[in-house]
Parts: sequence; C-alpha cells; structure tokens
Amino acid sequence: MFKIFIVEDDQGLVKLLEEYLHKFDYETFAVTDFESINTQFRQYVPHLVLLDVNLPKYDGYYWCRQIRSLSTCPIIFLSARDGKMDQVMGLDNGADDYITKPFDYDIVLAKINSHLRRAYGTYAAQAEGRPLQVQGLRLDRERLCLFLHEMRVELSHTEMKILDELMIKSEQVVSRDRLLEKIWDEQIFVDDNTLNVYVTRVRKKLSALGIEDALQTVRGQGYRLVPSWENTP
Amino acid sequence: MRLFLREQRPVIVIYFIQLAVVTFVYWLDGYRNAAVSMYAVLLSSCLLVGYLVFRYLTHRSFYRRLQEPAESIGDFTDVKPSSPLSESLHRLLKSQYRHYISELSGQTEKIEGHIRFINQWVHQMKTPISVIHLMVQQESDSRSVAIADELDRLRKGLDMVLYTARLDQFEHDIYVETLGLEKLVRSLITAQKRLFIRGKVFPVIEMEPQLSVVSDEKWLTFVLTQLITNAVRYTLRENGKLYFRAYAKNGRTMLEIEDEGIGIPESDLPRVFDAYFTGENGRRFQESTGMGMYLAKEICRKLGHELDIESEEGRGTLVRMKF
Repeated sequence: MFKIFIVEDDQGLVKLLEEYLHKFDYETFAVTDFESINTQFRQYVPHLVLLDVNLPKYDGYYWCRQIRSLSTCPIIFLSARDGKMDQVMGLDNGADDYITKPFDYDIVLAKINSHLRRAYGTYAAQAEGRPLQVQGLRLDRERLCLFLHEMRVELSHTEMKILDELMIKSEQVVSRDRLLEKIWDEQIFVDDNTLNVYVTRVRKKLSALGIEDALQTVRGQGYRLVPSWENTP
Repeated sequence: MRLFLREQRPVIVIYFIQLAVVTFVYWLDGYRNAAVSMYAVLLSSCLLVGYLVFRYLTHRSFYRRLQEPAESIGDFTDVKPSSPLSESLHRLLKSQYRHYISELSGQTEKIEGHIRFINQWVHQMKTPISVIHLMVQQESDSRSVAIADELDRLRKGLDMVLYTARLDQFEHDIYVETLGLEKLVRSLITAQKRLFIRGKVFPVIEMEPQLSVVSDEKWLTFVLTQLITNAVRYTLRENGKLYFRAYAKNGRTMLEIEDEGIGIPESDLPRVFDAYFTGENGRRFQESTGMGMYLAKEICRKLGHELDIESEEGRGTLVRMKF
C-alpha cells in the first residue's frame, strides 16, 4: 500500500483529501506540527508528498528542499498561487508537479497515480487502486474492459467514463449534466444528442454481457444503474 | 518678456504720472522752458529703461520659469537663482516638492500595501473554496449542483479582484511566449465546461491549425475567459452555438468569438469597454459589474492586441481580437 504524506494547514481540506485517498486504498499521514516536518517525514517514510506553499513559519519551498535532502520521492505542490513564477519556484525547489487550488479530486488522483507509476514502475497495477466492482460487474479503467464473471467486452474511452460514473454511484441518479461534464475533454466536446448515442452504446455493451434494463432513464433527471443482474456465476 | 512687461506696467505708469506731475508743478511755478523739460524727461526715461533692462536681465530665468509649464515634477531644480526673489521662490518650490514627494511615496506605499493585502486575501479565500468545492464534487443532488454553480461565480469574482489589483503592476507581472492558439482555446473551453453544459451552449471550433500568437498566457486566458463567460451568459436559447474562429489576415492573427445570443443594443455598443458601464443587458442580468469588458480591453491594450466588438440586437455578438 502506498503511503502519502500531506503537508497542508487547512484541516478541512486535509480531512477531505484523506477520506478520498482512503477510498482508493492509499495510506495517509497528515502533518499537524509544522515545526518538525523533517522528523515526521523520516519516521513515516512516505512514497509521495502533497505539499502546500503557504505554511506557518517556513513556506512549502523551504520544506521541499528539506525533504529533497532526505528523499527522492515524488513531491506535488498544492497551492492557491497560480502565477507562473510560483510554479517555476516550486519545480526549481525540487518538486515534481504543481496543482492549483481549487482543484478536482480527479486531478489530484490522476497526478498521484502517474507520479507513483513513474517512481515505482513495477507497482503500476497496484497504483491504480481496486478495479471498480458492482455485484460482480467489474470495470477495468486502464485496459478499457468490462467483465461479468468470465465474460468480457471492450469499451471505448468515453464508454468507460460513463460506466465509471454510473457504477461509482450505482442506484443513484446521475444527471445528464454530470455525465456530459465527465466525458468532455479537449478533443471532444459533447452535446446532448451525442450523449444519447453514447448511452445507447453503453446499453449495447451491457446487453452483450447479458444485462438488460439495468441502465434506466429517469425522466427529466438523468440515468441510473440498477444492479439487476445475478451476482452468482 | 511679455509677463515681465505686464508685471512692470504699474511702475511705468506711476513713473510717467509722476513725471507729468513734477513738470506740471514747475510749470505752475512759472518755469516754462519746454526744451529743458523735454531734456529732463528724456534723461529720466533713459534711467527707467536702464533700470528695466537691468531688472529683466537679472530676472530673465525667473520669468521664463514662471511662463513655461514644467515638464515634470522635478523640472525646476536645474535653474540657477540670481536674485533674492527668484531664490526664495526656488526655495519655496523645493520645499513644496519635498512635501509632495514624501506624501506621494506615503500614498504609493499605502496602495502597494493594499494590493498586497488583496492578493493575500484572495489566495486565502481560495482554500475555503477548495474545501467546499471538494465537498460538493462527489454529490449530484440539486443542492450540491447549485452550490457548485455559486462557487464558480465566487471563483470568477475573486479572479476579477485579483486581476484588477494586478493591472497597475502589469509590467512586473508579464511573461511573454509563443502560444498555440487552438490548444489554448481548447483547454480554455474544457476549463469552462461546466459553464457550457449548464448554459446548454455548444462550442464550435473553426480554426486554422498551427496558428500561434505571442502573448502572456495568464492575462490572455483571463481575457478570453471573460469573453466566453459573457457570450455564454447572454445566449439565452438552448442549443445555441459559440463559434471560435482563427485565421491569419494581412500578416496578423485574428481570433473571433461569435455567439448567437441576445446581442447588444446599438446605443450601448460604443460604451461597452467603459469601466462600470453595464448597459441594458447588465440591468436585465443581475450580476454585471461592468468591469469585465473594461478589464479585457485594458489588458489587451497593454499586451498590444486589438479588441473590437460587433453586435446586432437579437442576432448575436462577435468579438474580434487582433494579435
């Protein structure tokens, strides 16, 4: 299990980050005494550090240099400062990445995963956390595959994202806007009609696994994945 | 010279009155030799002219300084004083200058302190916003969605404060580089995807690829975000489109953002770039501050880009940037 060291003085933010990371099987340690970050680092020996810039007493740049003299583990800055100079300073002081506040969970997780993969290569599979699973239906995000028992279908990137969102919130209604937000990226902008097409494709993939009527349309609200299939093989 | 003569006019007038009075008194006394009187007038006039010439020569620089407007605040210090009057004026100006400078530097310091405070405050506000943002991110009930929308507005407001404060120190805060235009626009649209999805507006990119511009990414991003926000906000009908076009023309790169929104009334059009001007649309839509377009224009001016706007009420608005 990977250990993540969080240096951030806002307790609310730390709590939310920890809760989220625990969901993905990461172990975390949040610094509460900002005088002796060095010692705590040496005791905990983390695989990765999340570091704020504005800290009591010394700033994050200082602690970044201190940590660098102890370890070569990935360090990611979390900061409200979005200036180019701040980012350059962060990287110059030995950090590997820089995330500006306010940030999305997805971004933090993606960056953590990618740095862990870089730094500890062979553990790659482990770094991705558990495959998402709902009643025997498994989604492999990395290989773009969906499994039910021994059966398997391949998915497109967009279909994977839709299933990802629906399975995380299985039995809850996921709004169309939310799904649109999920699948928008710099290459494809999706409108309402395109979303319909994608949802139809997802239904087809599910029926290829023998799952019918599990993906329901909730009029005026969105979609819901109801685990109606048999769990036992 | 003219000021000098005007200044000396009473002396000259008094002198001639006095001359006339004296001559008159002698005339009444019975001394009536006109030739001698004329001679006396001539002699004393020569004396007067001599005095005036002397006076003018010694005070020339003084009068010149009074007549010519100062080029800058510290302009007077290089003139050498040559008479008691000009010397005391010089001293007065100098002491005033000192007071003025000390007051001014006090003010500058205050403003800088204020800007520093605002910067710090905005950054402090970003942490609570992050916390709320994370709290509502995983939820999809209507309350959380509403909170997330309000948060977006808060973030935009904070950015506006930050950029307004920074505008005065623009020169210290600029980093010019070559930017791929299409890539920039695409990442901007993605950053604003919530806005597009909520507003049910769809972006259409019609750009010549490989176009690039020389600019500062952060400031340019701010300006474009501003333009996009406006365009989406004023597109009221569903499934409206927002066109992004870029092309090269006469050696300059153009970027157009055209919406299918409500447009701007013709009477408001010349003033959209004025500070605090909200216009008719601003009054119909509550959150206008009238600062967005002003800031956009001001930043473009400083970056050396041109920004103009065409609009037809009810048909849409086109904003064009020339790099």
